[in-house]
Amino acid sequence: MFIARSEYDRGINTFSPEGRLFQVEYSLEAIKLGSTAIGIATTHGVLLGVEKRVTSTLLETSSVEKIVEIDRHIGCAMSGLQADARSMIEHARVESQHHSFHYNERLGVESCTQAVCDLALKFGEGADGEESVMSRPFGVALLIAGIDEEGPQLYHAEPSGTFYRYDAKAIGSGSEGAQAELQNEFHKSLTLEEAETLVLKTLKQVMEEKLDSKNVQLASVTKEKGFRIYSDEEMSVVVERLPTN
Amino acid sequence: MDSLLGSNPTLASNPAYSFSKAPYNSAADNKEHAFYPYTDNGGSTLGITGEDFCIIAGDTRSTSGYSINTRYSPKVFRIGGDDETGEGAHIILSVVGFAADGTALKERLNAIVKMYKYQHGKKISVKACAQRLATILYGKRFFPYYVTAILGGLDEDGKGALYSYDPVGSYEREQCRAAGAAASLIMPFLDNQVNYKNQYLPGTGEGHDLEPRQALPLPRHDVEQLVRDAFTSATERHIEVGDGLQMLVMTKNGIEELYHPLKRD
Repeated sequence: MFIARSEYDRGINTFSPEGRLFQVEYSLEAIKLGSTAIGIATTHGVLLGVEKRVTSTLLETSSVEKIVEIDRHIGCAMSGLQADARSMIEHARVESQHHSFHYNERLGVESCTQAVCDLALKFGEGADGEESVMSRPFGVALLIAGIDEEGPQLYHAEPSGTFYRYDAKAIGSGSEGAQAELQNEFHKSLTLEEAETLVLKTLKQVMEEKLDSKNVQLASVTKEKGFRIYSDEEMSVVVERLPTN
Repeated sequence: MDSLLGSNPTLASNPAYSFSKAPYNSAADNKEHAFYPYTDNGGSTLGITGEDFCIIAGDTRSTSGYSINTRYSPKVFRIGGDDETGEGAHIILSVVGFAADGTALKERLNAIVKMYKYQHGKKISVKACAQRLATILYGKRFFPYYVTAILGGLDEDGKGALYSYDPVGSYEREQCRAAGAAASLIMPFLDNQVNYKNQYLPGTGEGHDLEPRQALPLPRHDVEQLVRDAFTSATERHIEVGDGLQMLVMTKNGIEELYHPLKRD
């Protein structure tokens, strides 16, 4: 298997005889090494939750930034290579500002996701041999949460450039277990508060460290308040509420 | 006449130029060459909104100085249509000034509105289209589209919406607006007849105590009549206005086109 691959997994834009782009597939593997991130879309708003891997007691946990704002109505959680996410988020932010400048309205959540995914396959050289922006595919997946006239929405964007809309989605190292848990627990009438508990409960199950208010982060996108990262006090309140077992 | 036009012999002898620049001979033997990218094709446009409709009208004459290029050159267009006929459009645009720039602007806005639908999976709102038109115009701040544009449609609540522009994109939502050659003739008429300016309720007092008559959205029939009156009068008083009156009426059922002949003299 690996011998067959070696011919084709170097050329970034070269299909293997079986019709695969190995570098793109490998980039999906990079995400599975990342910390777990979870998103849940409720009728009241979308909730994002991530685990922060605190690798040292000397690490300032507030410097681990895995949930970021794209615009006042769109936020995003990431898993994988953090640095790659920077350029994707920068692109999404520019696109969102560009849209409100030109159209005096907020960018749609799907359009924002599409804009990020348009960037995903701009690696390798172009057809005419021109230099391209990136030398390899992105090594990061995003959960894009937002609200527009269609209501609260959650999208999952992959390095392959494909994206899907989800009611609830988990990415990263604990995604398999977490996704199964979400599958069981999700229902359409979830409140935002119930979603907070469900996200943390699910993270708790798949995290290696013991969950506390410092090594997880929550953010929400609601109609009233837009995108908002939970403060330390709010985090403690939600963590307190978790059933202890 | 000489004092008005300076010492430009071409302007003094040839009244065909509406703009103050014309081929110029500085000295007897030295011919100066220059490029004049703009012409004024005359004509007028007008837009009025009601509670649940929006009318944009324009005469169909195109002029160059004292000549008539054609008696039928539309200045009002459907934007966002499914095909060349404009079927399925939900926005109306009128352009008056330099006809070539007007056509170019219309084509460009139409293409952008189409792309918006493909990219965002929904029809553009009049509000968004209005902002986009402003950025298009301002994007050519230093070589402007020499046109006065009026954009109309129905807003998110189904109410008539009308936006008027200057050539570099400054814009405002209004109840009514006249533009083009006869704007100065039509606009005061609209101020009085649409917004009831200088109309007071009799018997409500003396001098400053008089109560102004409150303006209400007019019914469609009245607005159509006002538009026809405005243009027949403008045709009488302005040489660049006439031949035909074209009206696009936007309601929740789509866009209707009306045509009335105007005097051809």
